[in-house]
Amino acid sequence: MATEARILPFARPAPRGIVWSLFLTLPILIWSLLMMIFHPGASPDPLSRISGVITALFMTTLFFMMMRTHSTYRWRRIFFVSLGVLFPIGFIHNLYVMRGSMGIPIEEMIAGRTPFCFMPIPLLILPAAFTKTVIFPGSIGSSSHGIASMVGLWLALTLVMGKGWCSYACFFGGIEEGVAAIPARAKIRKLDPRLRYVPWAVLLAMVLLSLAIFEPAYCMWLCPFKAVTEYVAARNTIGLVQNAIFVLLFAGLVIVLPFLTKKRTQCSWFCPFGAFQSIFNKISIFEMRIDKDRCKPCLLCQNACPNLSLSKESIAHGETLLSCMKCGACVDACPRQAIVWHIKGTQIAWKPERARLMFLYSAWALAVMFGGSIIAQGITTILHFIV
Amino acid sequence: MPVFASCGEALVLGLASGPACIAACGPVLVPSLLTERAGFRPHARYLSAFLAARLLGYMLFAVVAWELGMLASMLPTPRLLMMGVVYVLLAGVLLWYAYSARRSCVQPCAESKLVSIGQKKNRGLAGAASLGFLTGLNLCPPFVAAGIRAAQQGSMAAALLFFAAFFVGTSIWFVPFLSLGCIVRSQAVIIVARMAMVLIALYYLSMGIAMLLGKKVYGY
Repeated sequence: MATEARILPFARPAPRGIVWSLFLTLPILIWSLLMMIFHPGASPDPLSRISGVITALFMTTLFFMMMRTHSTYRWRRIFFVSLGVLFPIGFIHNLYVMRGSMGIPIEEMIAGRTPFCFMPIPLLILPAAFTKTVIFPGSIGSSSHGIASMVGLWLALTLVMGKGWCSYACFFGGIEEGVAAIPARAKIRKLDPRLRYVPWAVLLAMVLLSLAIFEPAYCMWLCPFKAVTEYVAARNTIGLVQNAIFVLLFAGLVIVLPFLTKKRTQCSWFCPFGAFQSIFNKISIFEMRIDKDRCKPCLLCQNACPNLSLSKESIAHGETLLSCMKCGACVDACPRQAIVWHIKGTQIAWKPERARLMFLYSAWALAVMFGGSIIAQGITTILHFIV
Repeated sequence: MPVFASCGEALVLGLASGPACIAACGPVLVPSLLTERAGFRPHARYLSAFLAARLLGYMLFAVVAWELGMLASMLPTPRLLMMGVVYVLLAGVLLWYAYSARRSCVQPCAESKLVSIGQKKNRGLAGAASLGFLTGLNLCPPFVAAGIRAAQQGSMAAALLFFAAFFVGTSIWFVPFLSLGCIVRSQAVIIVARMAMVLIALYYLSMGIAMLLGKKVYGY
């Protein structure tokens, strides 16, 4: 096996043949068609059908390109940015149809009409353990029973993918990833490594405060994405302050800093859910590893990482930091193919393409199921405006 | 009311209210404990100071409750003002604690095993005592219920005894916090705890100021 690892070429492999790439894409094509077009709950609305077809083709094409080019990050980024941009479009449209406003009044919250979001999941655990109460009175669709299934689905996927959730399922990170892609070079290059600890501090503070005040403190006070989804209906000074915090955090962490640093700053420096997901990287069987024999180190991977998940020390140890989102940017950036997808328990660089395929099938299945439906909804909204 | 029955009632009230107490004290206690040295003894020392000061807060409240009988008729406005003052003070102590804890990790380095936490053996317990005292004045519903019952006691001594029994009941719930001593201290843990303290302090500060200004905190 060691011999096999050594004979890996240093240069990027040639594109895979079209037929073989199509064959590898076939499972995703079938899955996309099932999820987007042929599932029992599919809307009879012709525009929804059209957006389902467009989304299925979009997701399948991106996966085909991943197979053909051996590159992961840039194709995943197209999906992820689309998800980040289209999510608010569909979501806000729905809010206006249902409520006539993006602002949610307290009565609506108490009635459990807040659409459920995965962000407060870590904040729900302690109050649920102490009082058997879910402090986020949300709902999925028309049924509040969906929350348990949502949490169950999240747990199952997280156990497999670890923090891969943040690269293939989160509908918030795409906006900043898109903004970070705009400038050719980063204006700010020196970043304090201690900022990596902020998400853990936000997580600790929010978990404790949520238990103390018995409501999801992060959603009430710090979530930057309230600015583009569902904000607090401001009826007094405190409500205004809350909304000002949301807008400022969104502008700073999702627009300005990603533009200046070319990093996903909200994910790297703030998001408590991301910190929580990092813990599951310890359990997930998939990880990124660095073959120390092949590594120079040129630090191209560190510069490419959008999440500050590589440091000189971690590269020297041959591994990424706990916060790695498995987006594949480092793998694509490495000129010597020293960074590889890896399955725990196997030797490093043992059939890395096989490990990559195994991860991508599970990640893309999630992306189609979760992100695909959101993309389709966004496209439907746009089509409704146009047609 | 017989003393034993009264004490039993207070003890049961305290035991039943324990989860609410640790929920209220958690944001203050957990991060500040994480900046302490690892191990059972430093944590036991810290918790003892915290709880002793908390008992002092309880006793003070018991005296006021019995002397003035004020809790039963305490108007929302003065209660809000008192809570506002307590929150602002709590935020101040937390910020000071976060600032002073910067010296906890005496040797900044990458390897956690090389980090020595809390070089000074007897780190001051003023912070723990201040936090304990202020959380002891926290007017949470079980605490107000205990105050009302204390105000109905026949003498001040009975009121004090009632609150002491209530304190014992709630304090049992704090024992699990000693397990935080098992967490290995590294530069990362200290930094995270300090940052969390600042965030929590900012929350208390904003809530305290809102209460002092008479603004509605909820009801958006």
